[in-house]
Amino acid sequence: MKKLIIATAIAFSAFSTVALTGCAETTHNSSEHSHELTIENAWVRASEYSDHEGGMTGVFATISNGSDHDVILTGGSTDIAMMVQTHEVVDGMMQETENGITIPAGGSVTLEPGGLHVMLMNLKKPIVSGDKVNFTFAFDDGSEQAFELTAKVSDGGDEEYHDH
Amino acid sequence: MISRRKFLGTGTAAAVSGAAGLAVGATSASALANTAAETKLADTVAHSVGRAKVPALGLHQAGVELELQSHTRFIALDILPETDRRAMVRYMQLIADDIARLANGEPVLADPQPQLAQFAARLTVTVGFGPSLFAKLGLEASMPKGFAPLPAFDIDRLDPNLCDGDLLLQLSCDDLPMLNHAARSLIRDSTSFATVRWSQDGFANAQGVVGKGVRQRNMMGQVDGTDNPELGSEDFANVVWMRDAQPWANGGTQLVLRRIRMELGTWDTLGTEQKEQIIGRKLSNGAPIGGTNETDVPDFGARNEAGLHVIPDFAHIRNAAARDMKERFFRRPFNYVDGTTGETGLLWTAYSANLTEQYLPVQKRLAGGDLLNKWTTPVGSAVFVIPAGFDLDSYPGRGLF
Repeated sequence: MKKLIIATAIAFSAFSTVALTGCAETTHNSSEHSHELTIENAWVRASEYSDHEGGMTGVFATISNGSDHDVILTGGSTDIAMMVQTHEVVDGMMQETENGITIPAGGSVTLEPGGLHVMLMNLKKPIVSGDKVNFTFAFDDGSEQAFELTAKVSDGGDEEYHDH
Repeated sequence: MISRRKFLGTGTAAAVSGAAGLAVGATSASALANTAAETKLADTVAHSVGRAKVPALGLHQAGVELELQSHTRFIALDILPETDRRAMVRYMQLIADDIARLANGEPVLADPQPQLAQFAARLTVTVGFGPSLFAKLGLEASMPKGFAPLPAFDIDRLDPNLCDGDLLLQLSCDDLPMLNHAARSLIRDSTSFATVRWSQDGFANAQGVVGKGVRQRNMMGQVDGTDNPELGSEDFANVVWMRDAQPWANGGTQLVLRRIRMELGTWDTLGTEQKEQIIGRKLSNGAPIGGTNETDVPDFGARNEAGLHVIPDFAHIRNAAARDMKERFFRRPFNYVDGTTGETGLLWTAYSANLTEQYLPVQKRLAGGDLLNKWTTPVGSAVFVIPAGFDLDSYPGRGLF
């Protein structure tokens, strides 16, 4: 079933809004509330930090929460990175968030360069411009949403990468 | 009180109202009274111009079979040495995704200024491949039938900095800020694969200035683009779109771009009748000499009392006219003016399914004996294959690389 989600995501990935509620039966939803999360404009950054094995990069997207309760993005998983963390930028320096990234009830959060983002660390293979990267977003209620991310060059944010 | 900003805004709305044929009071009092109506009308105009979209996806690429947009930019790029066929796939996938979003009035992924991409204004982006791309990637054998660099012509005074290129991205749009933002977005996503070789800007009338279907005038004052295959017609499809080509090219076309400088200094000294004799058409409405309306078929056989052709033997339209049905192509010319030098001319385009058979015979004839050559000089030249259109799961050149 996971394959089905990915196929759906690919088919719609060229346009912004991908409502994944239609695939609710394929997610592991432990919450009693309906899980109305929408992920749009998801991409991964290609840079000199990502173009080699062992490198790192950021995942960005806009996540909307149509439900009546907060949902926390805890991170996610991908075959091509050893470690995935949720990060914030404080005073121009990146650091891991203490408790994931909260998507408020009825609101949305934009993960963007220079701000909140998901960090992929210790890459198992390079990510260069135009690459497609399969990534699964994970939430605190146990649900997951799989996406094919497009790798794009971006100078946005200009946050400083330091050793973790 | 009406603030200056408000007053200016009202003035703009009133001008638009006038164009739409509505009576709007000129005094500030009635302007105030009409503010709501004018705001609504301005919104309507913004809706019709700003929010107008041209579908980016389909059998053919966008940007060929449609009425001129107000602005165009031809950007030629050369691929980097490390850009191989596999990189071309990644590059074209990125560009296809960008084009689909921009044409739909949405910013590209990772746009640092997404606020600038909130509407499309009929933005089209057309991707083309030059002969040098095929050569660099070892794909010469895949060049479509009839596609080849142009031979040198005696009339050419080509500037190498305005010629050729591995890739073409042609953006056209009714709004210049949007075009500039879209161009920057595409160039940013090109930087990993290619560098800009040259960029040339052209323009046509703004939307709402001339009626639909009215041909624009070039900077010599002539009505330009008459005797073209009709948009949407079977004739257009037969003339322009490649058939029986490889799948990546089928439904595409072959583009000849010529930057033609006008020698306006000497052209200005001619009288109206001389200018009309040289081109073969009336300056007033573009009708062929001896005809009444622009769309009248020129009577090349008609003679005057002296026994001379009414449309002179040296006239441009006589030499440019197809000698048989094969010698036809679609023209989509934009004007250009270099603001620094004052150089003025045309970014002249010919689209055909086979440029060697359809375009070249006409070009050879014109290069040989067209009197208009005295006042026009080709200074830039390039040819590109425009591959087939693409869908969400595809990209320009899919199957070629």
